[in-house]
Amino acid sequence: MSKKSRSKLWFLVHSWLALPIWFFVLIVCVTGTLAVVSQEIVWLANPEIRASKPSDDAEPLSFDQVIAAIKRDDPQVIVRSIIRPDESHFALSVGLSYPDGRSVEAYANPYTGAIQGISPAFDFQQFTRALHGWWLVPFTNGYSWGWYLVSFLGLPLLASLVTGLVVYKRFWKGFLRPTLRIRHGARIFWGDFHRLSGIWSIWFIAVISITGTWFLIQAFLGDNQISISSEPIVPVIARDKVPTSAAGVPAPMIPLDDAIKIATQRIPGLEASFVFLPLNAYSHLQIGGRGWYPLMFQTAQLNPYDGDIAVSHLLSDRTPLEFVTESMRPLHTGDFGGLWIKLIWAFFGLVLSMMVLSGLLIWTKRTALATANALKRSHKVQRQAASIPVMQTETQEANP
Amino acid sequence: MSKVAAAPSSPLRTFWLKWRFHLNLLLVLVPLGFMPRYFADAALFRGDTGIGERVAGDVQVGPWSLTLAEFRNEGPSPDPAGPMKFFNAALCAACADQVKATYLRIGKPRSLRAAGVIFFGTPYRMGAGLPVPARTPPDAELWITMEGWDGTMHQGSIPLSQASPATIAWLNKQGVKP
Repeated sequence: MSKKSRSKLWFLVHSWLALPIWFFVLIVCVTGTLAVVSQEIVWLANPEIRASKPSDDAEPLSFDQVIAAIKRDDPQVIVRSIIRPDESHFALSVGLSYPDGRSVEAYANPYTGAIQGISPAFDFQQFTRALHGWWLVPFTNGYSWGWYLVSFLGLPLLASLVTGLVVYKRFWKGFLRPTLRIRHGARIFWGDFHRLSGIWSIWFIAVISITGTWFLIQAFLGDNQISISSEPIVPVIARDKVPTSAAGVPAPMIPLDDAIKIATQRIPGLEASFVFLPLNAYSHLQIGGRGWYPLMFQTAQLNPYDGDIAVSHLLSDRTPLEFVTESMRPLHTGDFGGLWIKLIWAFFGLVLSMMVLSGLLIWTKRTALATANALKRSHKVQRQAASIPVMQTETQEANP
Repeated sequence: MSKVAAAPSSPLRTFWLKWRFHLNLLLVLVPLGFMPRYFADAALFRGDTGIGERVAGDVQVGPWSLTLAEFRNEGPSPDPAGPMKFFNAALCAACADQVKATYLRIGKPRSLRAAGVIFFGTPYRMGAGLPVPARTPPDAELWITMEGWDGTMHQGSIPLSQASPATIAWLNKQGVKP
């Protein structure tokens, strides 16, 4: 195959990759962008999830103090978990169980422990994630087919990146001489926009498509019961390790702050940012947080009666493969380094959405042109095969 | 859009060229169609609609009692470890501090050590995944064992047909397997 016809072929592949499902791809990109900053959007819309300081010199409460404050305000409620978000302007996310059977996420002020609000039935953050992640298709048996549908898009996205770079001759020159012609009509503008934003998002498209493809592999592994995890399976606490007490008097547990102290001493570099309280009398207390590697969490499971660490899952326990696979999700969502990384991810997510749109606009304008030309020609030469002119007109783009 | 390509081609190709962009519409209809289900599930998980889809009733267990509910009003769900039926429960208001652990089993347990699967959660809302072998007789009883903090043990039962009619329907559909 000649060099020219090969680049024509590459170009055709690039043009057709997302086309029949362009709107689906666009919505997945837009919802993904929203999901990255969904927590921030809720923060703007709902004062209840803000960590407002009661006074300038207020200090954040310890987890035990938070639970005590919640119990003081409502003695009936049971705290199931506390999560301290990465960004200090967010309220604590507290899992609460109410006597009426509700089990909901609530927002607690980190300085006073006051419950500022309960997550609404329409949870914007959860909804955008569900829409982006699995297209709202329910998980009934293993992964939902919506998950497969969305994560499969990682492959055409990766192919778009590769073919795009192949057909964009000497694309690296675009970094040195950025071109965005505004006064030459829409077709030229969108072409320039598509190329310019394309080269500046090479890294981002690579990250999103590779991590997206990983989600596809993850679902496939999960549904076939193939595990690559080094995480130990934690049995319930042995019967003889749970003290017997007097009738009607639950066996006393060690204070949560002491448990956190034990875990922090045993796990170097642990910044305990979440606790999951025991789920029954024979269940462990789980404490976790990030370590030196910001993309992964470390956890410890303690016997809540004597503080004995039963199982821990540390960075040093992970296999090199797990460092790669466990980094995939934070890399995809941009949730590993605070607000600025999220904003960068959201910006490039928007650029990627615009690339889908500009790609479509280019295609539509070119096809309209090609169709008009083809019709004109077919008036002149009745017998000429009609599909060839289209290809020629379309592939002119390959050599701009 | 691309009428030109349609001239000398098979009907299948014509069909594809004519309708391919409608794939978008079809794909966008998917989340719209699942939206009611999504919000119903979200409410179920939050407990806005109670502790389960179908409340089976109260079961007396010695001096204590609990309200048993089917998490979903349907037969056991497939699981690598065999068919699994999820029940939720809430302890009686007075027994929250009295009961150390609650267990669930098909058939009467011989001892506390064979009491079945343990409930996870708070006294207000706890859940257990009960393995249901396909050969379970439809007249089986569901036994609940409760353990007090001092080690005392109490038992109570409810017919499976009352706890989960959907599971009985599922068992009947399975037929009796040897």
